[in-house]
Amino acid sequence: MTGPVLAPGVVQAVQVLTVLVAAPWVTGVIARVEARLQGRRGPRILQPYYDLGKLFGKEALAPRGSSWLFLAAPIIAFACYLTVPMLIPVLTSYGLPLGYLGDLLGGGFILALAAFVVAVAAADSGGPYAQMGSSRATTFGAITEPVVLFVVFTVALITGTDLPYALAETVRSSAGQIVRPAHLLAATALFLVILAETGRIPVENHGGTNEFGMIEHARTLEHSGPYFALLSWGSWMKQLILYVILINVFLAPWGLAPTGTPVGVLIAIGALLGKCVVLGCVVAVIDNSFAKLRLFKITEFVAAAFLLAVLAVFTLYLGGG
Amino acid sequence: MRPPAPGVFDGTANTVAVLVLLIEFGMLRAALLRSQIRLYAAQSLVVSVLAGIVAAEQHVPELYVLAVLSFALKVVIVPWVVLRLVRQAHAEIAGSASLNVASAVLVSIVVAAFGFFAVGALHIQSTALPTTALAISVAIVLVAFVLMVLRNDVVSQAVGFFSLENGVSLASLVVAAGLPLILEVAFLFDLLVAVVVFAVLMRVHHDQRASLSTSDLTELRG
Amino acid sequence: MTVVLILLTTLGAAAALLSLALPTWAAQAVTVTSGVVCLGLSFVLVVPTSHAPVQAGFLRADAVSTVFLIATAFLYAAAAVYSIGYLRHHAGHGRYLQRFYLGLNAFGWSMLCAPLVDGLALLWVAIEITTVVSALLVAIDRTKSSAEAAWKYVLIASAGLGIGLFATIVLYYAGSQVYGTSYDLTLSQMIAAGHRLPVTPVRLAFVLAVLGYGTKVGLVPVHTWLPDAHSEAPTPISAMLSGSLLVVSFYAVLRYVQITSPTLGAGFDRTILIVFGVLSLLVAGLSLLRQRDVKRLLAYSSVEHMGILCLGVGFGAPIALAGVLLHVLAHAAAKGNAFFAAGVLLRKFGTKDIRQIRGGLDVLPWTGPLLLCAVLALSALPPFGIFRSEFQIVAGGLGDGKTTFAAILVVLVTVAFLGMAVSFTRVLFISAPRTPEAVVTRGEPSAWMVAPMVVGLIALVVLGVHPPDALTHLLSQGVIELGSGGS
Repeated sequence: MTGPVLAPGVVQAVQVLTVLVAAPWVTGVIARVEARLQGRRGPRILQPYYDLGKLFGKEALAPRGSSWLFLAAPIIAFACYLTVPMLIPVLTSYGLPLGYLGDLLGGGFILALAAFVVAVAAADSGGPYAQMGSSRATTFGAITEPVVLFVVFTVALITGTDLPYALAETVRSSAGQIVRPAHLLAATALFLVILAETGRIPVENHGGTNEFGMIEHARTLEHSGPYFALLSWGSWMKQLILYVILINVFLAPWGLAPTGTPVGVLIAIGALLGKCVVLGCVVAVIDNSFAKLRLFKITEFVAAAFLLAVLAVFTLYLGGG
Repeated sequence: MRPPAPGVFDGTANTVAVLVLLIEFGMLRAALLRSQIRLYAAQSLVVSVLAGIVAAEQHVPELYVLAVLSFALKVVIVPWVVLRLVRQAHAEIAGSASLNVASAVLVSIVVAAFGFFAVGALHIQSTALPTTALAISVAIVLVAFVLMVLRNDVVSQAVGFFSLENGVSLASLVVAAGLPLILEVAFLFDLLVAVVVFAVLMRVHHDQRASLSTSDLTELRG
Repeated sequence: MTVVLILLTTLGAAAALLSLALPTWAAQAVTVTSGVVCLGLSFVLVVPTSHAPVQAGFLRADAVSTVFLIATAFLYAAAAVYSIGYLRHHAGHGRYLQRFYLGLNAFGWSMLCAPLVDGLALLWVAIEITTVVSALLVAIDRTKSSAEAAWKYVLIASAGLGIGLFATIVLYYAGSQVYGTSYDLTLSQMIAAGHRLPVTPVRLAFVLAVLGYGTKVGLVPVHTWLPDAHSEAPTPISAMLSGSLLVVSFYAVLRYVQITSPTLGAGFDRTILIVFGVLSLLVAGLSLLRQRDVKRLLAYSSVEHMGILCLGVGFGAPIALAGVLLHVLAHAAAKGNAFFAAGVLLRKFGTKDIRQIRGGLDVLPWTGPLLLCAVLALSALPPFGIFRSEFQIVAGGLGDGKTTFAAILVVLVTVAFLGMAVSFTRVLFISAPRTPEAVVTRGEPSAWMVAPMVVGLIALVVLGVHPPDALTHLLSQGVIELGSGGS
C-alpha cells in the first residue's frame, strides 16, 4: 500500500487513544447486548460516556482519616492503564518503538500495580465493604497469578520469547499454530482469567448491587466524583486491554495494520472494535447463561483455568503441543 | 529450546486428545452422577471421532468400523445402562468425594504430570498419531485412577473404570492403529460383558445397602 | 489334536448353556461330565505337547499351557463333584442353583480358554472374562459382605486388567517394529521375534503386565481384593479362584516373561519378579499369623504361594522353572483340598471363625485327616508335591547364586507354616467343650464332598513321591520353552 506513512510515535499515540476512547463504548455495547438478551431495552450504548461526564461534574469526597493515597490511587491506576496499550499490538502487527519496553510479564506487572494501588486505597478508606472487596480481589488475584504465569510460559515456549508481537506473528504464520493444543489451552485459560479479572459471571455479578457478593466493584464504593469516574474508566480500559491481548495476541491477530498508513490504521481500529464486540457478545451470553459461583467455589473455577494453563505447558514440553 | 510446531493433523489430533483428558477432569469435578455419565458419553464420543480422524488420515478402513462400534457401545449403550440404574436408585443424585474439587484437581495435575513426563522420557515414536497423544492417554488412565480412588459411590467408580478404558483406547489409536479388527471387536465385546456385570453388581450393592455409596464397605478387612 | 483343543474351549460353554435349561440334577450331571471330560482331554494333550506345540487356528497348546490346563481342569472337575454335596442342603434351591451352575461352568470354561488361545490380546480377553464371571459368582450369595467383596474384586481386578490391556497394546507397538503396523499378536510370532523387539517399549510392557496381571495373581501390594473374594465366595468357587484363577493369571505373566526376556536380558524381569515375590511372601506370612477366618487364612496362603511362583521364575534356573510348573499343579491340588475341607467345616459348624471351630478330627472322620494332610502339604512338608516343587525352586535359587533370596524364601515359608499350623492345630486337635448346646454329631455331611479331596490327596502324594514320566517330560519341555528365549 502506498501513501503517507504515519510516524511510529503518532501510531503509538493513536493506540493509546483508541483504548482510552473506545473502552466506555465497548462496555456500553456489552451492557446493551446483555439487556437485549434479558428482554430489556437496555441503556444507550453511549451511556458510559454520559456517566463519566456526570461524575466529572460532581464534587469529590474522601472519608475522614484517609491519606493522600486514597486520592492518588485512581490517578496512578489510570496512568497504568494508559501505559499498557503501548506494549501490546492494539493496532499494528509490527512492534512500535515503545512496544519493546516490556513483554507480557511487564504488561502484567503494570496491571498488577494498578490493582495494587486501588486495593490499598480501598483499604485506606476504612469502609467495611471496600476493605472486604479489596481483600477478596487480592486473594483471587493471587490465585489467578499462577495461571497467568503459565500462560506466559506457554507463549515463551512456543515463540522462544514472551513478546506479545512475536506470538501474534507465530499464530498468523500457519494453521498448524492455531490448532495446536498448547495454544488453544493457553487461550482458554486466559479467557477464564479475563472473566475473573473483569468481574464477570461466574465469578462476580456485573450489574449487582448486593455488597456482600461484590469483589471488584466493592473496592470503589468509597470513591466519588471525578475520582470514581477515573476508577470506572480505568476498569473499562482494563477490560478492553485484556480483550485486546486475548484477541490480537491469541485468538485472531488479523486485520492489524502491517504498515503505518492512515488507511491501514483506520481499518485496524474498525477491525479491533468489531472483534471486541464479538468477544463482548460471547461474554454477555456467558453472563446470561450461568449462575454466579458461591465465593468459596471460585477456587474451583480458577483451578480449572490453572489446569488448562498447566496442560498447555505439559503438551509443549513433550514437543507435540 | 523451541520445539517445532506440529502439522495441522498432528495439532488437531493432539487437541482432540487433550479434550479427552479435559473431559476426564470434568468428571472429577462433576458432582451429579447423571452429569458424570453424560461426560463419559461425551468422552467416548470424542474418542470415536478421533478413531474416525485417524482412519481418514492414515487410510485404515477398519478404524471406521471400530469408530462406529465404539460409538454404539460407549456413547449409547453404556451410558444408557448406567443412567437407568441411577434413575431406579432414585434416592441419590449426587456422589460424594473424599477431597474437595480444587484439591482433587491439583492432585490429578500432579499425577497427570507424572504420566506425561514418564512417557516423554520413553521416546516412543508412532506413525499414526503424535507421541503427545500417548502421553495424554497415560495421563487419562492415571486421572481415572484418581477418580476411582477419590469417589465414594459405585456409579462414579464404575464410570471411572470405563473412562480408564477410554484412555487405553486412545493409546491403542496412537501406537496400535493397525491392531486387527477382530481383536478390537473382542475388546469391545469384553467391555460390553464387563458393563453388564458392573451393572448387575451395582444392582446387588444397591439391593443390599439401599444406597450407592461405598463408604460403608468396611466389613471385610485384615 | 485339533478336535481336543476345540472341545476344550467349547465344552464348558455348552455345559453352561445346558445347565441353564436343564433341571438341577441334570445340570449337576452335565457339569460333572464336562469337568471330567475336560480333565481327560487335558491329559490327552500331555504327550503331544511334550514334543511340539499343537496349533489349530486361534488355538494353541504347548507344554506350559498344558500344565495350566491340567491344574484348571482338575479343579473344575473337583469343584463340580464337590458342589453336589456342598449345595445339597442349600436353602435357596431352583434359581440359585441354576445361576450357580451356569456360573461354575462359564468360569471353568473361561479359565480353560485362557491358556489355549493363541495371542496376547485374546489372552487378555479370556482373563477379563474370568474376572467378570467370577465376580458374579462371588456375589451369588447376595449377602452384604459378598456384595462388598464382589464389588472390590471386580473394580480392583478390572482396573488391574486395564493396565494389562495397556501392556498388550504397548507390546503390540513393540512387535510392530518387527512385523509392520498390522499383524496378529500371536504367541508364536511374538516368541519368534526374540531380541529384535525394541527395548524401551518391551520393558514398559513387561512392567505394566506384571502390575496388571499381577493384580489378578494377587501379588502384594495389589492383592487387596483377594482375601475378601476368596472368603465370601461359595467354597467350590473359592477353590477354583485360588487354585486355578490365580495361576491362569500367572500364566499370562509367564508368557510376558517368555516373550520379553530375550530382549531385556535375564536381569530386568527377574529382579521385578523377585521384588514382587518377596513382598507377597512377607505380607502373606505375617497376615497368616493373625487370621481368624478359615477361608481368609487359606486366601493369604494363596498369596504366599503366588509369591513363591514369582520367586521361582525370578530365580530363572531350569530346575527352578520346573519347580514352578510342578508347583502350579501341586498347589491346585493342595489348595483345592484345603478349601474343600474348609467348606466341610463351614457346613458342619456353621461358621468360618477359627475360634469357634474345635475338635475337627473327632467330628469329621475323613475330612479331618484330609485337611491335616492339605495343611501339611501347603506348608511344603514331604511326601507331598509342594515339598518337591519348593525344593526345586530353592535349589534353583541356590544354584543360581541367589542365596539371599532362597534363604528369605525358606524363612518366610516357615513363618507361613507357623501361622497355618497354629490355627489348624486348634481347629483339628483341641476337643470341643462338652457343653450341651455345642454338640456337633460325628459324621461327614456328604460323600460327594469327600471324594474330590481323596483324589486330590492321591494326586499330591503321586506328585511328591514319584511324578509319572509323561509329566516329567512335559515339565522339562515346558522349561525348554520358557528358556527358549535364552536366558
